[in-house]
Amino acid sequence: MSVLEISRLSIHFGGVKALQNVSLRAGEWEIVGIIGPNGAGKTTLFNCITGFYAPTKGKVRYRDRNITRMRVHERTALGIGRTFQNVGLVKNTTVLENLLTAQHLQIGYDPVAGIMGSPASFEEERRLTERAHQILGLMDLEEIAKVRVADLPYGMQKRAEIAAVLATDPDLMLLDEPGSGMGPEEAHELGDTLLKLREEFGLTIVLIDHHVPLVTRVSDYMYCLNFGEVLAEGTPDVVRAHPEVARAYLGEEPAEPDDDTRVQEAV
Amino acid sequence: MEELAIALTFGVLQGSVYSLVALGIVLVYRVSGVFNFAQAEFGTTGLFGAYIAVVLWEWPFYLGLLFGLVVAIVMGLLTERLVIHPLRNQSKVTLLVGTAGVALTVIGIQFWQFNDPLIRQLPKISDAVYVTPFGAPIMAQQLITLAVLIVAAAALAVFLKSPAGLAMQAAQQEPVACELVGVSVRRVSMMTWGIAALLGGLAGVLSGAYTIFTAGFLTFGVGKALLPGFIAAVLAGMKSMPGAVAGGLVVGIVEQFGGLKMFGDVPGASALLLLVFLVVVLLLRPQGLLVRKATA
Amino acid sequence: MTKELPAVLLEEEDEQFRVSPGGWLGRGVVWALLAWLVLAVPSNFLSPFEIGVTDINGFSHAAIFAIVGLSLNVLIGYTGQISFGHQAFVGLGAFVSAYVVTDLGWEFWLAVPIAAGFGAIQAGVLGLISLRLTGLYFAVVTLAYGMFAQESLFGIAAITGGEAGKAAPRPIGFESGYAYYYLCLAFVVLVLWLDWRLMKTKSGRAMQALRENPRVASSYGINVKAFTLLAFAVSGVFAGIAGSLLAHADEVIVPVEFNFQLALLFVLMTVVGGLRNRAGVVLGSVFFAFLGSGKLVEWFGLVGFVEGVIGLPKEFVALVIGPILLLLTLTAFPGGIGQQIAPVKMWLLGHRFDMHAGEVNEVEVTDVRA
Repeated sequence: MSVLEISRLSIHFGGVKALQNVSLRAGEWEIVGIIGPNGAGKTTLFNCITGFYAPTKGKVRYRDRNITRMRVHERTALGIGRTFQNVGLVKNTTVLENLLTAQHLQIGYDPVAGIMGSPASFEEERRLTERAHQILGLMDLEEIAKVRVADLPYGMQKRAEIAAVLATDPDLMLLDEPGSGMGPEEAHELGDTLLKLREEFGLTIVLIDHHVPLVTRVSDYMYCLNFGEVLAEGTPDVVRAHPEVARAYLGEEPAEPDDDTRVQEAV
Repeated sequence: MEELAIALTFGVLQGSVYSLVALGIVLVYRVSGVFNFAQAEFGTTGLFGAYIAVVLWEWPFYLGLLFGLVVAIVMGLLTERLVIHPLRNQSKVTLLVGTAGVALTVIGIQFWQFNDPLIRQLPKISDAVYVTPFGAPIMAQQLITLAVLIVAAAALAVFLKSPAGLAMQAAQQEPVACELVGVSVRRVSMMTWGIAALLGGLAGVLSGAYTIFTAGFLTFGVGKALLPGFIAAVLAGMKSMPGAVAGGLVVGIVEQFGGLKMFGDVPGASALLLLVFLVVVLLLRPQGLLVRKATA
Repeated sequence: MTKELPAVLLEEEDEQFRVSPGGWLGRGVVWALLAWLVLAVPSNFLSPFEIGVTDINGFSHAAIFAIVGLSLNVLIGYTGQISFGHQAFVGLGAFVSAYVVTDLGWEFWLAVPIAAGFGAIQAGVLGLISLRLTGLYFAVVTLAYGMFAQESLFGIAAITGGEAGKAAPRPIGFESGYAYYYLCLAFVVLVLWLDWRLMKTKSGRAMQALRENPRVASSYGINVKAFTLLAFAVSGVFAGIAGSLLAHADEVIVPVEFNFQLALLFVLMTVVGGLRNRAGVVLGSVFFAFLGSGKLVEWFGLVGFVEGVIGLPKEFVALVIGPILLLLTLTAFPGGIGQQIAPVKMWLLGHRFDMHAGEVNEVEVTDVRA
């Protein structure tokens, strides 16, 4: 059974065909890498998987369940977690508070009971804090727990974001350029972290990144997108050796930004 | 039937004040992206200015009206300098609270300076009253207001097509590019607020002559035009100038319907109708009712 | 499906700063002074001042305004939705409560929760509308709602008594103004507790996340619509409580009290107090309550100066000074009163005195809701 299965997905914005007939699957415990030049539609694909965009055509299935029309928070409840290209954290709060917020769905007490101040809510809050600290410890972020996100350097924010997604208790983790702003050494370390997280949490990971060495090292399977279409797929060696892939990367890169700040509200 | 005709006539006449306010609101929103809650207060300020000049200082009537308009414009420019400009990088909601603060400040000053319970009224431009075939008396002042609205709207349309007007609209969309080609965004912003204040001032000096006025007259007093003006602007999708004119008239009519006999038992039927009208429009046609698709 | 993680010890915060005994004494004295001011002075206990029967009503009003401020803070501060119709929220609570006690003959203790419930319902309905609109348009809707409530809803004579108003007797045991003040104070404490727990639990965190970044909030699994509605409901409950207390404080209420000016004053005191800052909002509300009734001017012996020299009736001082404070807050002191008092507050709570405590420098947040 595949964890994620996307079949013949297309999405059009006005006349622009952002994705065309994209099919992709990720199996249990797999790390699937997606590469491609800017504007190839990688982030758009994530937005379709997580529900920020409604695809024009095609289906998104998660563990044999059609989730194409489900709302964003409902998909999170199923176990789909994601990071954003430009750091998806609540930036005016601390890292710890972000991890507490991210555990929203695992909170046992009722919202109203929380407002009333029921004893159970105090107990539960203690448990949440403890778990947040555990996750931070695992990601080596313990010392920045009380630091406001906006005051952290970019690379740290990226790591903290992964910690926050872990706090949502995902099965499938979608990482949008986790290695951006990192040097080769840090990127290598990130690769180790991803492999470790897969072991510890039993995660399936879909990874978008421009660090091709990072992606080829950790991925079990790879896709290369270009102009909204799958240009090549296969094991990392196959994709890397594909002549079209080399051309897409070396040729003229389209300047259209693939930035999720442009995403319209679709919550 | 006659009742309906009277409501329609009065609606259009009263609505022309709302149209003037709505024009200012739409203009500011188009250029600065601000919901200007001080727009109606530009009117009250102009009205007080004209009152001071005409009644207290006994200036010639038209010179006094002109003085009122100048006072309104000065207030518009001050608003831009002291509040809008310093807050330009803040959130839109902060700016909105800022304009509400401007309105409150001048209302406070009016209360302070004009608190003694005088019977305050500005003379009308003309005291003539005409009787329509179906029996509704129309004041010449109301017809003049309608005429001023038409002239102001036409002048604004011509201005927006002129090089200065086009630069003004471009400054909102591409501020950096505009600076590069020599359009001063700062001057454009001043100009916008000045014109908007002039429109508000016109609404003020014209509508203050119907009745006794007090502090905050156009914001929440007897002549309140802020909410109707906003509803008219919403009808225009916050961007269409002809839509704002039409919207004001429509809102005026809707409000007059509240006075029909069928609503006789409902207290404050006009306010109820306006709320329902606004909510329905926003929920069904949030992009505005009186806009052509192309104006987007 | 929570995974087993290695246990970690939650270490206590390493507090290098220790308050000396003298420091605790100093703090104790200030705390005692505050308690004396709030608890003893209003009932002339151990107090050189003479708080009369009419003055004590001003204290009750200040407490009620604090609740209104906290209610508005939930909307503007926590969810970023502005309300220019909050006087209607409070007014509905007032009329419902008066109706329940006077016409139905039920107990005051039943009237308060009923008023709170009505507050939640009307706020919820407006909340449903707000889900479809951006913040700016919603402000216009609240303006229209306020006008409607003032002219239409509160004009229904059968319920509100029309222009003559409606009687709202105080509950047994609290007939005296002094006793009623302590009742209002108790409700302030209750609302403060609810607001504190709100912000410390999942709902508050959800509201903060969805105000700042609804996309991240929803990807954390937060149902953005449901928690926006919850915020409205909480705000409505607080406003309903405030309305009920206000009705019985004045013992008779008239529709004309709940005009647009009052709505503006509410927004003003909340923003000047400092959004998202409980202590600041309470202080701002109390300040404007006393300023608005002219009491503040009286106490400082400025009546002669204000009315004689400047020529401003003391009841209008709030209208003149308030907006200027608002504009100052927006342009120069975005943290409001709450930020200005933060060093003192931290000191009182046993921290080092730090002039820069509580400085708000929120990073630019993309203005999604507006």
